[in-house]
Amino acid sequence: MALTITCPICGKRNGYEFRYGGEEKGPRPDEKDLTPESWCDYVHMNKCVAGVQQEWWFHRDGCGSWFTIFRDTTTNLEKETPEAKE
Amino acid sequence: MMNRFNHLPTLKIDTSDKIPFTYKGKTYYGTKGDTIATALYANGVRIYARSLKYHRPRGLYSMDGECSNTMMEVNGIPNVRTETTFLKPGMVVKEQNVKGSAENDFLGFIDKMDWAMPAGFYYDTMHKPAKIWPVAMKQIRKAAGIGKLSPDHHMPGKYDEIFPTCDVCVIGGGPAGMTAALAAAQKGLRVILMEARPWLGGHFEYRTSEYIDRQTHHERAVQLAKEVEKTENIRLFTHTANVGAYNNNLITGFQIGKESDVFTERYIEIRANSVVVATGCIERPLLFENNERPGVMQAGCALRLANTYGMLPGKTAVFSIGHDLGLETAVSLHDLGMSVPVIADIREDGQDPALLKAVLDRKITILKGWVATEAHGGKQVKKVTVKSVDATVSKTYDCDVLVASAGFTPLTGPLVVNQAKLTYDNHTNFFLPTDLPKKMYAAGRLLGFENAKSIEASGHLAGLKAAYGCENCSIADLGEAKKAMENLPGPARGTKLVTAPVKGRKTFICFDEDTSIKNIKQSIDKGFDVPELIKRFSGAGLGPGQGGIPGHNLPLFTAKYQALPDIKIRPTTVRPPLVPTLIATYAGTNHTMFKRTPMDEMQRKDGGIFRNIGVWQRARYFSKDFTCKAEIENVRNNVGMLDGSTLGKFRIHGPDALNALQRVYVSDLSKIKEGRVKYTAMCNDDGCVIDDGVVVKLGENDYYFSTSTGRAGQTIEWIRYHTRYDNWNFALVNLTDAMGVINLSGPNARKVLEKVVDIDVSNEGFGFSEYKEFTIADTIPVKAMRLGFVGELSYELHVPASYMKTLWLMLNEAGKEFKIQNFGVEAQNVLRMEKCHVILGQESEQRTNLLDIGMGFLWSRKKTGYKTVGVAALAQAENDNTRLKLVGLKMENNGRAPKDGALIVDDRVRGHVCTARNSFSLNEAVGMALVEGDMSKIGTRLAFYEDECKGELIYGTVVETPFYDPEGKRMKM
Amino acid sequence: MKDIKRYSAVEFKATPLKNENRGNWDVVLEYHGEGEGPWLVDLSHRTRLDLQCADLAAKKPFGITIPETPCRSVLEKGILVNRMNRIQTSIYHLGGETMDIPKEKEYTDVTEATIFVAIFGNNVFSICEKLSALDFAGADQQTPFLFQGPFSHVPCQIVTLSRDAEKSGVVLTCSRGYGKHMIDGILHAGEEFGLTPAGEARFTSWINNL
Repeated sequence: MALTITCPICGKRNGYEFRYGGEEKGPRPDEKDLTPESWCDYVHMNKCVAGVQQEWWFHRDGCGSWFTIFRDTTTNLEKETPEAKE
Repeated sequence: MMNRFNHLPTLKIDTSDKIPFTYKGKTYYGTKGDTIATALYANGVRIYARSLKYHRPRGLYSMDGECSNTMMEVNGIPNVRTETTFLKPGMVVKEQNVKGSAENDFLGFIDKMDWAMPAGFYYDTMHKPAKIWPVAMKQIRKAAGIGKLSPDHHMPGKYDEIFPTCDVCVIGGGPAGMTAALAAAQKGLRVILMEARPWLGGHFEYRTSEYIDRQTHHERAVQLAKEVEKTENIRLFTHTANVGAYNNNLITGFQIGKESDVFTERYIEIRANSVVVATGCIERPLLFENNERPGVMQAGCALRLANTYGMLPGKTAVFSIGHDLGLETAVSLHDLGMSVPVIADIREDGQDPALLKAVLDRKITILKGWVATEAHGGKQVKKVTVKSVDATVSKTYDCDVLVASAGFTPLTGPLVVNQAKLTYDNHTNFFLPTDLPKKMYAAGRLLGFENAKSIEASGHLAGLKAAYGCENCSIADLGEAKKAMENLPGPARGTKLVTAPVKGRKTFICFDEDTSIKNIKQSIDKGFDVPELIKRFSGAGLGPGQGGIPGHNLPLFTAKYQALPDIKIRPTTVRPPLVPTLIATYAGTNHTMFKRTPMDEMQRKDGGIFRNIGVWQRARYFSKDFTCKAEIENVRNNVGMLDGSTLGKFRIHGPDALNALQRVYVSDLSKIKEGRVKYTAMCNDDGCVIDDGVVVKLGENDYYFSTSTGRAGQTIEWIRYHTRYDNWNFALVNLTDAMGVINLSGPNARKVLEKVVDIDVSNEGFGFSEYKEFTIADTIPVKAMRLGFVGELSYELHVPASYMKTLWLMLNEAGKEFKIQNFGVEAQNVLRMEKCHVILGQESEQRTNLLDIGMGFLWSRKKTGYKTVGVAALAQAENDNTRLKLVGLKMENNGRAPKDGALIVDDRVRGHVCTARNSFSLNEAVGMALVEGDMSKIGTRLAFYEDECKGELIYGTVVETPFYDPEGKRMKM
Repeated sequence: MKDIKRYSAVEFKATPLKNENRGNWDVVLEYHGEGEGPWLVDLSHRTRLDLQCADLAAKKPFGITIPETPCRSVLEKGILVNRMNRIQTSIYHLGGETMDIPKEKEYTDVTEATIFVAIFGNNVFSICEKLSALDFAGADQQTPFLFQGPFSHVPCQIVTLSRDAEKSGVVLTCSRGYGKHMIDGILHAGEEFGLTPAGEARFTSWINNL
């Protein structure tokens, strides 16, 4: 209930309308030279920062877009940029 | 019944309108406007309940429902807060937690046993020996606990919900809240004002003392309220308690309906840009011996009994107070006819001179620096001992009411639940909110203001700040409002006294849990030295009133008892709901929201037994025989019709449509030919299989594909997620609800279909795994596939939803001679299980990959360059022998099938049963199970451990699959 | 094969007064006792299209320019065009007899995928407020505008066509499967405001007066 997310299409909405898509990690690695370890790292290793992180969200109940936001994981509040301080 | 005033301007009752109600089986009369508690009081009731632990008599104390003293059973509903619940005709009111009556409780003797029950008594004793607990528990449960409710209780009433949006939400409709709302509204903003009481006015509303220039506080409240009510952009919610405040200013509350409202209670969820919290104060309880004896009450309670509800609390009132409201109350009650022999004022000085003069004019004795130390009287106050604060001098007075109040406590709940911090303020003796959440502002009495003008000015300023937060107020306006504040008195000095000079054995810091000062000392002596720990160990603040009574006294006393140099100790954490809320209110309207297929109505008429399965309501059975024997046999021998409309159905088109499919499906879809059906599967990045379905090519980069029912809602999301960096140009259209699906299966399926369609449906004309588009009667467009999920000749007809009923009737008509019957989801489940066709989620769980369930053949290893989701993990898992494998099983000695989910064991758990049934087609029990790799060999003996089997295992063997028609002749015939 | 009929997932308990057969749909033009409003009208028989492509600026469905900004809508010649996101537009056929569906591959007929209803008349937004946290009265919106969000807890497209007192009204689509329960929910929420099922004629005269 507490979380709100700003969808680039629909604006600020209740967090329940969205699905979380994980931390921003960049595109899928190339199939060539892929080791089991590097693949596993890409899929499963997360930074889990206590602070501002860039992350993916899907507007499931709305426009159907994937997008990223910056969120302070300690307060559950969105930030405009990774450096933004209150 | 006592005479009620009917001339006071502040009254909220109509004495000409009597309301009958039943209390303890007898009929009583209240007055229109009464709460249940005031109606009882008017009828002479002083003892409303007995306390939780010691069965002490309890009475009216605060009037705002901060403790369980006056909770009663009303119309069969327990724990109704009678202080805040309006009386309605015919209400049946009963007392709670009594053996006998509240007046004469057989368990009253327990009060004398307190020496045997120190803080943490249960923790310390009842577990040794362990055997004692079940016995002890039963006895304790009988004696303690408040209110009884049967598990199948259905809450009467109508519950509603509402989700308004506003620019500024003001919590609290007192003078500060109203001025804040008006200030924000004047800036053209949409304002919501919520007030817990049924009317506006806060602590001005019930006071007849002078506000300014001979206008009374009450008149001022009415004036402000009128202004608020006529302001169009203020939306007013009265009788609406605030229960929560969350990130980004989401404010929740619930409103009690008036007679004219369509709801009993409704849940309100407000999304506000800015919030002003002007919730004011409650009184901080005074701690002395028997401080909760009926007859002891707070100043506001005594004053409101008279001014709002038109009755004097008693004949003679002694006052032991620490604030000017106490003096004002003494004067008011005296003027209304009560005898006030003495006021013990905790303060040595600092009283409002005008009030002091009023007291002295009335010849009321005032003892400065004195305090009540003990209330006497078995069930009600009869006498009071007051002492000087240093306990050197003592006096005793007869009375039937003791107005006792140490000071004020700000209601900071909305701020604190939204993560504001509380810091102790030495001047006000308040825990004041600091680090306020973004765009949340505090105003009024909760900041310590007592001067009426200051209260209003702080409201005005907060209203403008809130407008500024909405980018709707200039800095200059703000500056002006701040300046206005500077010329007015600041926050008032608060009293510091926590306890009268007593030992505290019967001095209760928390009424709900019968926690005494002595218990707090015991807790601290045992090392529980901060309020959070003391609360858990002693119970203080754990009851229905939460922190209402002990909230601020607990940290203050804790600091004092430990002789801490400064008060860094915080009150215990406050959490929503700030006011107890019915679960029925939270549930609101609770509309049923399930999906129904286009065949829903027809199947219900045909006796379908429906179940909620995911987001859908589906026909699971068509008879009370849940083995579905008749349905199954009809499909095997004749022809059946299944509603498959819940399958996910999608169109994907655009230049990169094939690329997108190649990314998520493990098969190579570049090779699909038009007119053919390709069965394939999706995995996640771990290679675990998440979905299966068919893909049909409609044209170049234009495909129609199906997904399993459960995945339909996530398919677009999934495909877009896994292509989000690629900038591919493709379009996805969800046609799940657009297309109904009829699965026509059984050896007679062709005979039925050829009567309805014009195309050639012979095995040559429409072969297995083929796809056709045609119209029925030149009108109904059909996408048809020949599949074999249930193992028989089978056609899957995808038809626009609006035509489904028509087609269903046609097929029924045409199929009559071939014994067409419905079959439901359970029959399909058995049919496909006999054929060992998997249902994902049943034959697979979260960790099951494509290879584990023997579907590795779908994975095209040659397809590279698409970064297909899951194949990297599949390649790694390919030679892993430790994984679970899906196997077929047959029961030994013609035994029955194990339950779905039964464990497969030897000396440990080795797997589990996915689906198993007694098969009518095969005349034996068969099923599928996931077992550890080394047990997957044909002939391995399996032992099944079922729920509640008490160690009685049943046995089966791993066998070849599929069980039914292994050559697959029937579905290809 | 005489009785080929199309059925809407929306069914009202009201008794039809006037109806007509239109393309196998049984369209109710008027019900008994439609009252003073607000009204709820089933438009599920009216064509809805999905238009998706990377370059929407290049598309002119029925000669209408698609709004550039997502969540903006335009109503022209009885056709409502709603910009859904970067690549997607929904098109509702509100007025006139039939609509020829463009042949280009970027269009998909999604009429069958949803139910389509109009709620209009007094207190429409008080009804909406009971079912959705979406802010229909927000000052920053100009009609017509599109909301894509939960209404009675399920995802919907809701286009506010007017916020002008008794002319206020919205059209709404949600997954066809939710049809029955959505209608139950709307009627229940609207009960206190006198929400009444009405025929298509009522809708047409509303649209024509906007």
